[in-house]
Amino acid sequence: MNAASAPATAFDTILEVEELRKEFVSHRGLMSVRAVDGVSFSLKRGEILGIVGESGCGKTTTGKLIMRLVEPSSGTIRVEGKDAVGLDREADFAYRRRVQMIFQDPYASMNPHFKIRDVLEEPLLIHDIGTDRAERRRLIEEVMEKVKMTPASDFLDRYPHMLSGGQRQRIAIARTLILRPSIIVADEPVSMIDLSTRAEILHLMKTIQSDMDLSFIYITHDISTARYFTDRIAVMYLGRIVEIGTQDEVIDHPAHPYTKALIEAVCEPESGRVGIMRELKVKGEIPSASDIPSGCRFHPRCIFATDDCAKGPEPELQDLGDGHLQACKRYKDI
Amino acid sequence: MKACDGLQDFREFWAEFRQEKTGLVGLGILVIFILLGLFGSFIVPFKDADKHWRDIDYWQDNPQAAPPVWTNAFSSKKGVPSSTLTSFKAEEQSQDSGVVVKTFTFDYPFVYDKPPRDLLVRVPGSGQVPLVISLERPDGLSAEIYREQVELSEGSPERISVTRNCAQSTIEFIRNQDASMANDMNVDLIKPTSILFAKMGTGLLDDPVTLKGDYKIKVKALILTSDFSVGAPSIQVSGHVSGLMGTDASKRDVFTGIILGIRWALIIGILTSVISVVAGVLLGIIAAYFGGVVDWLLSRLYELVYLLPVLPFLIVISAIYKPSIWSMIVLICAFFWTGSFKTVYSMTLQIKEETYIEAARALGSSKWRIVFKHISPILLPYSFASMALSIPAIIVYEASVSLLGLGDSTIVSWGQILESALSQGAMINNLWWWIIPPGLMIALMGMSFAFLGTALDKILHPKLKTR
Amino acid sequence: MSEPILEVRDLKLHYFTSKGAVRALDGLSFDLARGETLGLVGESGCGKTTTGVALLGMPSPPGRIVGGSIVIDGTQIVGLPDHELRKNVRWSKISMVFQGAMNCLTPVYTIRELMVETYRVHCGPEALDTERHVNMAKLEALMEKYVRLVGLSESVLGRYPHELSGGMKQRVVIAMALFLEPKVIVMDEPTTALDVIVQAQILNLIKALKRDLGLSYIFITHDLSTEAEIADRVMVMYAGKMAELGSSEDIFGAAEGRKGPAHPYTQMLLASTPRLHKRVSELAFIPGSPPDLIAPPSGCRFSPRCPFAKTKCRQLDPPMHELGAGHLVACWKAMEDSEYERS
Repeated sequence: MNAASAPATAFDTILEVEELRKEFVSHRGLMSVRAVDGVSFSLKRGEILGIVGESGCGKTTTGKLIMRLVEPSSGTIRVEGKDAVGLDREADFAYRRRVQMIFQDPYASMNPHFKIRDVLEEPLLIHDIGTDRAERRRLIEEVMEKVKMTPASDFLDRYPHMLSGGQRQRIAIARTLILRPSIIVADEPVSMIDLSTRAEILHLMKTIQSDMDLSFIYITHDISTARYFTDRIAVMYLGRIVEIGTQDEVIDHPAHPYTKALIEAVCEPESGRVGIMRELKVKGEIPSASDIPSGCRFHPRCIFATDDCAKGPEPELQDLGDGHLQACKRYKDI
Repeated sequence: MKACDGLQDFREFWAEFRQEKTGLVGLGILVIFILLGLFGSFIVPFKDADKHWRDIDYWQDNPQAAPPVWTNAFSSKKGVPSSTLTSFKAEEQSQDSGVVVKTFTFDYPFVYDKPPRDLLVRVPGSGQVPLVISLERPDGLSAEIYREQVELSEGSPERISVTRNCAQSTIEFIRNQDASMANDMNVDLIKPTSILFAKMGTGLLDDPVTLKGDYKIKVKALILTSDFSVGAPSIQVSGHVSGLMGTDASKRDVFTGIILGIRWALIIGILTSVISVVAGVLLGIIAAYFGGVVDWLLSRLYELVYLLPVLPFLIVISAIYKPSIWSMIVLICAFFWTGSFKTVYSMTLQIKEETYIEAARALGSSKWRIVFKHISPILLPYSFASMALSIPAIIVYEASVSLLGLGDSTIVSWGQILESALSQGAMINNLWWWIIPPGLMIALMGMSFAFLGTALDKILHPKLKTR
Repeated sequence: MSEPILEVRDLKLHYFTSKGAVRALDGLSFDLARGETLGLVGESGCGKTTTGVALLGMPSPPGRIVGGSIVIDGTQIVGLPDHELRKNVRWSKISMVFQGAMNCLTPVYTIRELMVETYRVHCGPEALDTERHVNMAKLEALMEKYVRLVGLSESVLGRYPHELSGGMKQRVVIAMALFLEPKVIVMDEPTTALDVIVQAQILNLIKALKRDLGLSYIFITHDLSTEAEIADRVMVMYAGKMAELGSSEDIFGAAEGRKGPAHPYTQMLLASTPRLHKRVSELAFIPGSPPDLIAPPSGCRFSPRCPFAKTKCRQLDPPMHELGAGHLVACWKAMEDSEYERS
């Protein structure tokens, strides 16, 4: 209990991921899907890192690896300096208090038979926090205030289906906060919520983040919300990070062809676009993760690709300065 | 607050259930069964039958293999219903010698076409008491059918059977009327009651016609000294028809047996179904959720047990070990858990993939906690329906085993009744009142649970959505 | 101006539930010109999908059209029996790409079989049996034409849905809506479930179809950014009623020095949409949630959440008011502001 909640002041980097790999092998090894294929990044205390990519890029799997809902095939994860792979039951249990998750579907992430009170009390009961009912009630009310669901008594006796999507997601956020974690992994937390409430939830998360000095991993396919919410952005493609840097750098000065294509494809609510074709800087469709192209895995779709791009080892991330890294061999030529 | 929600949930459920007519029928029958099972002993004519089902003495006063009383309505020759005469007129006469003569007069109106099979006079008391029993007929004739000095004891009243003890006196009675006929009578072959209750005249021996009217039976006891005493006698008329469902070959009242059988049917059915469904559901959840070796072991166990034919197995084990009803319950449970296992297994595989289960894991929940707090509540409705639906089969299994003579012979179950019916020649002798009721009851109880279970299933099944 | 191909007047649709009648559409009126793309935009529960299915005469039960009229290419839809609608209206005058349709392709049929079934359902089984070969050949030609038109090769016709990617499935569904050559296509969230790049590809496709086929489209989405890509005119819906209707410039043109939308709801929606190329320090959001449509609030339905609401707004439902050419808004404040400006 003590190790989990004591601030690790000695560590500025709260999470370190190195060469993380996860391979899903189907029956009898006939098909193997390399969902996460060598991912490395670090997260500073109090920082929000966005992981952006399309479906199948491995961002959700990365989130689950960090959450220890899935065991990595290889690679290391270090939280507050301590190794987080292959933990025994006790260490795993303690880990859960340090790292928590907000799920995409606010309805599916709660047992529909549980009342809100039960949903929020569950983590306390699991970790034996709070000496008695009254104490637990106090902790629940405290966290509900943080997510602006007051008066708490209005909501505690309701079932999830009686709340709106935004309200449910607030409860989900409250559920993660009640254990006072250091890191929160948010997997598409607003993609299933109405537009007008989306901003509210993002704003709430931002407020909580700065109040409680939390570190966030924000997984999304919507780069625009990443712009609003994150400090740094990592762009993933087919299981690898192809570009990572501050959000200004990545969005305003994208270096990798894939990032460029992504940015170009995003629509904005501005007039004048009707009837004008959007120039797409990419060919074809995302290949299956069970059949990853050789060399640079983006080369079949890249409009700048040469024969050289299909050969040789996978290009590593190159440092462009200021923490902006990208993985295109031909960057200097383009 | 939890009770309030439970009540609300129940009210919603009840509103839906009320619309299922078959379910209501099933529930109604079941309620009647339960009430009879609980309070049946108060309405049966033989209150202690439970303990004395195989006690010959207990049933000795009943006629053997007598059809139910109401069959009289359908026959042209009305048989005598068994009854007990307990009200009498008592007279006491003190003689000069100090002997007290107590006379008990019983009125017996007789309107039947057939004479009683027997008259059984029971006299409690103590000491050496001379007894005289006489029958006054409506045609004025009076027969002294018994004159003996007997040793009375309070605990077990003296039992005088007219058929057995009064043959000779009956012949004497006839001799007084018609000497020649009396000579034709053989003391071993005549039926005293058919003569005593017959019209005088020719054909008395071969084809007697009953004399209808008011009969009086007088029981006279001589109290010789004050040490001796005589208590209230009673007369059991052993007739042709007896009880609501007749009697069996061992003179047992079938109706009593059926009512007593309800208790056992309910116990066996409910206990077995609850245990086997709970076991099946828990094992199903555990196998599906824990996966791995646990899953492998439990699934192989399931396959093995599922393949075994229940009835032959039960028969073999019962034949070898002669189990009591309780071990039979355990045995049936050992087979029946497979019924709910597979369905629950598939459902848990689905539920396992739900996001809220993943969220619970992310919170650090142990596997057992997820099994009991998240998964089990979802499967509760299905469990109830499953329990109701498995009861009919269980009852039939027990009945089948009992039928083959391998059941627990210390209990009164419908299967046991059926078994004795078949082994004691009910079929051959056309004793339909012995065979039909137990079979009907098994079917009825099975049907009521089947209706109930189907209705439950219909209502609760759509809510078997995992979300 | 030629006749509008679609005219909706005072459309009312209620869902009759055990808890009461949900007034999902409460007096909707708009036109769709030939060759135009009209965007229906709003959040969940505003009635945009309900409008879409109502235009095909198939409100999902327990919904029923209780008033108003829908005229498509001269034919009144409201009140027509189902078999009439199936034969003469659906897929001949108007068709629909349903929300999530790409995930509803029956996996045991090939694309060809699925398209043939669409034909059978709407043109009647008799049409296929008599003169079978002639019709089959014509049908095959139509199917191939439109499959190519959506950017796929004809071989797709022989494939099963699970063999196709998300983007390909969406193209197939669009082809299925087009191949019987209706005049109006309703598309309900056609790009929402797709990845960013595929979404852009499909939007390009829809733009090309617009240009080449000259059909009229109703494009339903909750995403303002997508709407800006494709819609000539945009109708913003709120709680079953129209809040604002204007051209793309009227609604989205604020950046180019134009006034921007007039309805507070539209303004706040725009302000709450995150931008990629503009750094926004604070995103706006609209507090509260959409009203209960069984007992909607009196007056303007947006008034409980509107920062500009006055007493009048809470009492009287504002009518549609024409601000400028083709720019309609249902808001007391917008009305007063425009009158003030004119004076």
